[in-house]
Amino acid sequence: MKFGLFYELQLPKPYDADQWHPDQEHRIVKEALEQIELADRLGFDYIFIVEHHFLEEYSHSSAPEVFLAAASQRTRNMRLGHGIVLMPPPYNHPARVAERIAMLDLVSDGRVEFGTGESSSEMEMGGFGVRREEKKAMWEEATRECLRMMTEVPYPGYEGSYFAMPSRNVIPKPLQKPHPPVWVAASRRETTMVAARLGIGSLGFGFETPDEARERVEEYYRLIREECFPIGKAINPALAVLSVLSCFDSDEEAIAKGLEGAQFFSYSLGYYYSPFTGGAHRPGRVNLYHQFKDTPPEQRWGALAEWFRGFAGYRGGFGEEPQDEVGRALWRAAQRGGCIGTPEFVRETLLRYEQAHLDVMLFVAQCGARKHEDIMDSLYRFGTKVLPEFKERHEQHQRWRQEQLAPVDYPIVSSI
Amino acid sequence: MAGKVDRIQDPELRASLQAAQESLRKGDYRDVVQRSAEAFVELLRRRPELLQGQEGVRRVFMFPRLGVDLVVSPGSPPALKYERERFSFSEAVTYLEFATEQLLQAGA
Repeated sequence: MKFGLFYELQLPKPYDADQWHPDQEHRIVKEALEQIELADRLGFDYIFIVEHHFLEEYSHSSAPEVFLAAASQRTRNMRLGHGIVLMPPPYNHPARVAERIAMLDLVSDGRVEFGTGESSSEMEMGGFGVRREEKKAMWEEATRECLRMMTEVPYPGYEGSYFAMPSRNVIPKPLQKPHPPVWVAASRRETTMVAARLGIGSLGFGFETPDEARERVEEYYRLIREECFPIGKAINPALAVLSVLSCFDSDEEAIAKGLEGAQFFSYSLGYYYSPFTGGAHRPGRVNLYHQFKDTPPEQRWGALAEWFRGFAGYRGGFGEEPQDEVGRALWRAAQRGGCIGTPEFVRETLLRYEQAHLDVMLFVAQCGARKHEDIMDSLYRFGTKVLPEFKERHEQHQRWRQEQLAPVDYPIVSSI
Repeated sequence: MAGKVDRIQDPELRASLQAAQESLRKGDYRDVVQRSAEAFVELLRRRPELLQGQEGVRRVFMFPRLGVDLVVSPGSPPALKYERERFSFSEAVTYLEFATEQLLQAGA
């Protein structure tokens, strides 16, 4: 199993101010780059960073290609992942995506992971005029054509349902041939199975348990073997899932320094993705962190559940896991989770994912108001006390994966 | 290795989703969406208790709204509302996977 970091660039407002301090966005970006530089030295394999727009406090990462370009000059080995590029053409014209991915691949000496997705928050879709019922079809059309632009000379042009352009040679071309490994964001199980059938990696954003990961791994690799119709010129068979990391010498310290950040991650995610609150957000006028802090810790999930009342029918309290996938993912993100604890505790959790043949575990390390120093400490502890043994065993996983993929005829471009 | 669709026990619903799989291979995505969505609605019509309570709300909420909507109103059987005629591959797979998972979870 490989490991990576997953960044939203969260930036809670100061508790007692209407707006951020002038230097805060600058500081969070510089700190994140330092964290990534350390992670690269420690042997982390990936960084994935989101593209989100207008989701104040939850994510200040609206231009990930710029951030990744900076990361490419500070790291040597780490793969640089878009987690993800918003593919519906109202967000990004497919030719511009192809150009940016190719340029990043060139400046990083071929280290790009091309994560793709659709978005589902009302703030973003409404801001760019994307209709919810069309976003998946937009994603598919734009992704397919974008991969053709990266590989065909010239691109012959296209008259589609969601964009059109005449024949042009889209340049530059990426260093990785035929194109970088492709992924899709999968917060629902169905999308993981779409990924398998299109021959692309699944970035599972649902905080899946080891047992769920095992079930998905088995079905995913079966579909790759038996039902795959590649969307690109090469396939990237790979499954990644998310967890929240806070690794310290005692459970108490890990919780004290890591749990609130995880809870804010979940709280702010729930706020923007709830149909009741997300679309009603007052831009520039809400202090989400203030609201969060004023909610007693034991009720933070309860407040989330209140937002979700009627949405997915959730009626539970803090100790009860929701049944629907969206609510469940939020609930799990808000809990202590399997990777908030001592190195031994985290190791035990990760062994279960490794036994399920998961390819990549991505950690949310920067979230809420976590301190930079604590994030660095946690990364260092994980990187020195837990990561090495998993790296040593990764060859075993690669052999298992080769067996799974033995019947597959398609070219494979993958960093697993 | 058998796919999940083959584990559906109800012969009529299984046949419907097997036909949807075949349509997927042939590229008839409209047929995949229609057969998958209708298999799910047929399940709800046969077993109205699946629409009750928290789990019922969840089932309605989680239905993919990607050009076909699920209409549930008191006193009427669940129905489908088609908003367009053309569907993409990924939309077809989403409806097929959703229906398959729901039927298996319901023990159909």
